Amino acid sequence: MDNELFMNTELHPPPEMAMHFEQPSCSSPMLNWPLMNPNLSQYSPPQDCFTWEKSTEQQQKQSIFDSALSSLVSSPTPSNSNFSGGVGGGDGFVIRELIGKLGNSSTTPNRTTPLTEFSGDPGFAERAARFSCFGSRSFNGRTNSSLPVNNSKIINSGKLTRVVSTPALHGLVSPMAPAGEFSRKRKHLTKVKSKETPLPTASPAPSFSKTAEEKGGKRRRREDEKEDNTKGPEPPKDYIHVRARRGQATDSHSLAERVRREKIGERMKLLENLVPGCNKVTGKALMLDEIINYVQSLQRQVEFLSMKLSSVNDTRLDFNVDALVSKDVMIPSSSNRLHEAGLQAESLSHHSYDNSSQLHTNVSSSNMMLQSPVNSLETSTLASSFTHLPTLTQFTDSISQYQMFSQEDLQSIVGMGVAHNPNHESQNMKIEL
Amino acid sequence: MASADKPINTDVPEKDVFALHFLQSLSNLRRQNTFDSPEKTNDRVKKIKKAAYVSMARAAGGTNRLWSRALLRRAAKENNKVVRFPRRKKRVTCLRRRSNRRDPVEEEEAERLRNLVPGGGGMGTSKLMEETAHYIKCLSMQVKVMQCLVDGLAPK
Repeated sequence: MDNELFMNTELHPPPEMAMHFEQPSCSSPMLNWPLMNPNLSQYSPPQDCFTWEKSTEQQQKQSIFDSALSSLVSSPTPSNSNFSGGVGGGDGFVIRELIGKLGNSSTTPNRTTPLTEFSGDPGFAERAARFSCFGSRSFNGRTNSSLPVNNSKIINSGKLTRVVSTPALHGLVSPMAPAGEFSRKRKHLTKVKSKETPLPTASPAPSFSKTAEEKGGKRRRREDEKEDNTKGPEPPKDYIHVRARRGQATDSHSLAERVRREKIGERMKLLENLVPGCNKVTGKALMLDEIINYVQSLQRQVEFLSMKLSSVNDTRLDFNVDALVSKDVMIPSSSNRLHEAGLQAESLSHHSYDNSSQLHTNVSSSNMMLQSPVNSLETSTLASSFTHLPTLTQFTDSISQYQMFSQEDLQSIVGMGVAHNPNHESQNMKIEL
Repeated sequence: MASADKPINTDVPEKDVFALHFLQSLSNLRRQNTFDSPEKTNDRVKKIKKAAYVSMARAAGGTNRLWSRALLRRAAKENNKVVRFPRRKKRVTCLRRRSNRRDPVEEEEAERLRNLVPGGGGMGTSKLMEETAHYIKCLSMQVKVMQCLVDGLAPK
C-alpha cells in the first residue's frame, strides 16, 4: 500500500523529475522533492500548498526519502538508462518504469524496510496521503490511466490537518480540507455533479477499476463522514445549478430534497418576521406551531370583530340613522353645505362605483334620494329611502372617522364638503377600485 | 433545479384598499338585508364574516394569489355561483406525493397549516409558506380595518 503511495507521489510526470532521478547517487533526494514541487505545480496548481508543505516537512522527510530513493536509485542500471532516456518524450514511460521499480522494490525484503519506515510515521502517512491524493488526481486527470490507488487506506490511517484549496484543483482538494475550508471549496466541487453511489469505505480491490471521480467520491464521502458533524447543515448555494455539497449524498433526489428544504427554510425566515414573538423560538416545528397559532388567532379575531360589527351595524342602522344624518347635517354648517357634500359624495360615488354594477343601483337610489329636498334627509319618515341612505352615509361617516386613513379626499367628503375636486377624487377611487 | 429563487413577493396593498372593499361589501350586505333583520344573529355574523373574507381576498390579491382564489371560489360555491378564473399553472398536487419530500414532523404541522389557509391543500410545502406569509399580512390588515370600523361605529 505504501508502495502505491510512493508510486503515486512519483506519478507527476514532469520531465525534470526524471532528470533528477538520473543523478546516480541521488545524494540529495530531498533536493528532488523541493524541485519536484514547482514541477508538480505545473500539473497540479496548488503550488503554494506544495511548497509550503514541503518546506515545513522537508526536514522530516529527508531521511526517509533519502533511504527510499537511494534504494530506488541503486536498482539495476537499465532503470537508470531508462530514466536517462526518458527525459524528452517518454515521460510517462519513465514514470511507469519508476512505478515498476517501486513495485519491484517493494517485493524485496530489504526494500520493504524503507517503505515500512514510511508506514511507521503517522505524520508521514498523513502527508503521503495528501501527496497521493494529489498525485493520483492530477495524474489520472492528465493521463487518463486508471492506476490502482489505494488512497482510501492511507487517508483512513492518517488524520488530515492540512487545508488545501485552490480554485483550479476542484474536486481534487475536496478530501483534504477540513470543515474550515468548506466554504471555499463548496463552490468548486465538480465531481459530485455526477451520480455517485456511496462506495464501501475500504475496498482496495475494486478500486483498481474505478475512475478518479469515483475514487474521489468515495474518499470524499469517507472524509465527510468524519467531518460531517463539523459542517453546518446547509451551506448556501450560489449557483443556479445545484452542486452537491460536502457531507451530503449526491444523487439527484437528495439534491432536490436539499433545495426544497432550503426553500422552505428561506420562507420560514420570512414568516418569522411576520409572526410576532417568533424570535425566541427556533426550529421548524416550534416555528410552525407559532405560525399556526397566529393564523388561528387572526381568524378568531376576524370572527369576533364581525360579530361585533353585526351587532353594531344593527344598532347604528336601526337607531342611529338619524344621528348619522344629523351628524352629516351638523358638520357642514348649513343644509346647503350638506347638499353640496351629499351631491359631491354622490357624484364621487357615482364615478367611482361605475365599475361595480351592484353599487350602481345603490348609487342611483341615493342619487334620487339626495336630489330630493334636503329637508327630507332630516326627517326619518322616509323609511325606505333610509335603507339606501344609511349605506352611503354610513360609508362616508365611517370613513370620516378613520383618521388612520389620513386621506384628504375621504375627509373632505364628509367634513369640508365644498372645496374639493370630485374628479380628482373619483380618479383616485377608481384606481383603488 | 433553480436554487436561486426570484425574490418572494409578499406585498399587500394599503389599508385603505382593504377598507374600501370591506365597506363596499358591508354596504352590499346592508342593501340586501331588509331592515328588520329577520335572520338570526348568527346568520348575520356569518354573512359579515364571509363578506370580510371575500373583500379581503379581493383587496389583497384578487386572483393572483392561490389562497384568495380558493377563498373566492369557495365563497362563490356557497352562493351557487360559478366563478371562472383565468387558468394559471397546473396544480402541482401530484408533486407532493414524491417520497423524498416528507419530513414527518414538519409535514404534520404543514397539514394543520393547510387546513387553516384557504387553498392549502393544493400546494406544496414551500408554496404553502409563501401563501401563509401573504395570508397573514392580509389577515392582519383586515383585522385592523375591522377594528377601526368597530371603534368608529361603537356607541359612544
